[in-house]
Amino acid sequence: MSYLLDAVNWPQIWVITAVGYSVVFTALILLIFVFKFMPKVLNMQLKRRLKKEGKYVERTEGDEPFIAGEVNAAIGTALSLYFSDLHDDESKIITIKRVERRYSPWSSKIYNINNVLPTTHR
Amino acid sequence: MVSVLSGGDASAQDVIQGGADSGSALSRGMSTFWQYTGFSNITLGNIVMLLVGLFFIFLAIQFNYEPLLLVPIGTGIILGNIPFIEGFQIGIYEDGSVLNYLYFGVVKGVYPPLIFLGIGAMTDFSSLISNPRLMLLGAAAQIGVFGTFIGAMALGFEIHQAGAISIIGGADGPTAIFASSKLAPELIGSIAIAAYSYMALVPVIQPPIMRLMISKKERLIKMKPPRAVSKTEKILFPLIGMILTLFISPTALPLLGMLFFGNLMKECGVTDRLAETARTKMIDIVTILLGLTVGASTQASVFLTKESMMIFVLGAASFIVATAGGLLFAKIMNLFLKKENKINPLIGAAGVSAVPDSARVVQHEGLKSDPSNHLLMHAMAPNVSGVIGSAVAAGIMLSFLM
Repeated sequence: MSYLLDAVNWPQIWVITAVGYSVVFTALILLIFVFKFMPKVLNMQLKRRLKKEGKYVERTEGDEPFIAGEVNAAIGTALSLYFSDLHDDESKIITIKRVERRYSPWSSKIYNINNVLPTTHR
Repeated sequence: MVSVLSGGDASAQDVIQGGADSGSALSRGMSTFWQYTGFSNITLGNIVMLLVGLFFIFLAIQFNYEPLLLVPIGTGIILGNIPFIEGFQIGIYEDGSVLNYLYFGVVKGVYPPLIFLGIGAMTDFSSLISNPRLMLLGAAAQIGVFGTFIGAMALGFEIHQAGAISIIGGADGPTAIFASSKLAPELIGSIAIAAYSYMALVPVIQPPIMRLMISKKERLIKMKPPRAVSKTEKILFPLIGMILTLFISPTALPLLGMLFFGNLMKECGVTDRLAETARTKMIDIVTILLGLTVGASTQASVFLTKESMMIFVLGAASFIVATAGGLLFAKIMNLFLKKENKINPLIGAAGVSAVPDSARVVQHEGLKSDPSNHLLMHAMAPNVSGVIGSAVAAGIMLSFLM
């Protein structure tokens, strides 16, 4: 085993480890920066648009910049309950119903062409 | 069948000849038939592996440990260890066999990116976008990858093999298979089995380390609820994530490209049908093929080696190191955070990318300390960043060693 350990190029191993681990951190730190500032950029755009349309209302101190997840969950549940109520209650009995139809003489035998033709009795 | 019964060089006519000849031909035929059966060719290694396969299936059915993976893998192990005479295009390592064709997707690294596509299409990154600094925990847990790399080198593995083995520390089966298919194809079976076994055992491995490293007081920390994330942010995340991470680590392109593509399909709102297929039918089909063939690749003659045993030891160590790394980094982060922004260090354990098992373990451990402290949403952030982190780590290993 000591022979094997001697044969290993340890400086190379340490370089791969150090560089590799720092690159993983760098990639994710870059993502952190982007997504930390993205809401601010998006909000700025939204603010500018709303100001243009005259709908912008200044936020008071202490207001949450976004609706909390719990509030969202409560709204979602309320909406779900409301919409599920809209669905009509069915009888759950599936069967063929007898339907009363208005009389339609379109195929009646009385109006058959044979009855229209004059018959001669001698 | 006649050729089998006729016993190698004996012809079929021998069987139907009368008298003493027919008796001897029949016995010769029966003896040849016996030689072709599994009972005649079985080895101790086969028996051990059959028991391992049955044990996997037992774990999946009895304890519900990753059943979607362990049932196909367990069945694959049984199929791969049914003894047979080679030369009839049956075994997974025989050119032209059905299993060999299916195994192509593993050897050439086709299945892992498809799995990543499905994972992307089913993952909600909102918890990560709402609290991006938790991504650091996903990066910290990758110490498991690099620690295992050093450990594998110290145990005498060749550098490419060590690189492939190290990805077990990322706790991500598809990434480990993808990296080993490129760096050390001869170790795919052992690496995949080790990675998936330990992923299934996350609920057993992680809790003792969490209890050992995190004090009772720290476990009670309640975190601020994550903010709501806008649709625009959700759409921009896969696009920016794809471009940024792939520019840093282009070798992770098949994995991360597919992961972010899947997520874009989910979030953009105009490709629901594609996202639905990717996260249901497609990932199911690929999981079946991947699990079965990886299991079948563990033929005792190839699998039961000293190297495999060492890979299993390294795999266990890598999971422990990765979990400890995430927990320790969460504790360090808390030193620099204001009181109202402090994080519960338990979520550091979710930095290993076993999605969503490690997040579930965090939730479970959090509830044990305080039944009103729900950590699942917070833990999902390091958990999914662990997926990105392990894919980046694999990409770096590939770019250094290929």
